Amino acid sequence: MIPAIGSSVFDTTVSQTRAPSVTDGMASVDRARGADFNEFSNILSRVMVDAANTVKAGEATSIQGLNGKASTQAVVDAVMSAERTLQTAVAVRDKAVAAYMELSRMAI
Amino acid sequence: MADPLVSALKIASSGMEAQSTRLRIVSENVANAETTGKTPGADPYVRKTVTFAATLDEVTGANLVRVGDIGTDKSAFESAYDPGNPAADANGYVKRPNVNMLTEMMDMREANRSYEANIQVVKQAREIINMTIDLLRS
Repeated sequence: MIPAIGSSVFDTTVSQTRAPSVTDGMASVDRARGADFNEFSNILSRVMVDAANTVKAGEATSIQGLNGKASTQAVVDAVMSAERTLQTAVAVRDKAVAAYMELSRMAI
Repeated sequence: MADPLVSALKIASSGMEAQSTRLRIVSENVANAETTGKTPGADPYVRKTVTFAATLDEVTGANLVRVGDIGTDKSAFESAYDPGNPAADANGYVKRPNVNMLTEMMDMREANRSYEANIQVVKQAREIINMTIDLLRS
């Protein structure tokens, strides 16, 4: 046995201990896809959380306005912003649901 | 980069707030148009003035408006003969505030018109935003 070859397998300083296989690159791509699989629903849920937060902020400002701590403009501003965000969120959701329905009705 | 339409809403809102403050000052001037001093020869209420200043909003990069400072009118007081007034001087003259009702009314009108203009901006911006969102619904 030639010592130089036998030792290199267990040598930790050698980073590549086996030849790269054909599936190596594909495996990493697949893993990335798995993470992105629910990306759109993630976006949708983020949009919804955002909308809910804006509505909450609008409510808080309204209450402050009723207590005389916030100006009328600030209250109207906050509520309008909440309305805007909610409208956008609902419109995006409707569009997504419509796309889903279209897929489900597709002839097989 | 913030949405320009949302920025427009914010700017108009700042304008409305500034005009509200202006109206508040006008209201103070009108309400105190007859306010004289308490002690003989004392100065009466001094008319307040309001100036506006542009201020940069760091988030949107837009120029908002705010009330710069609330100053006082330097013009001279009128004096009226009213010996019975506690603020009357030795000759029976009382210093009266330098508030001119006509000026205040004009100022009020102007504040009102400015406020309306800002509301129109808000309406237009909102309409455009809604129209754009409605594109998704068709």
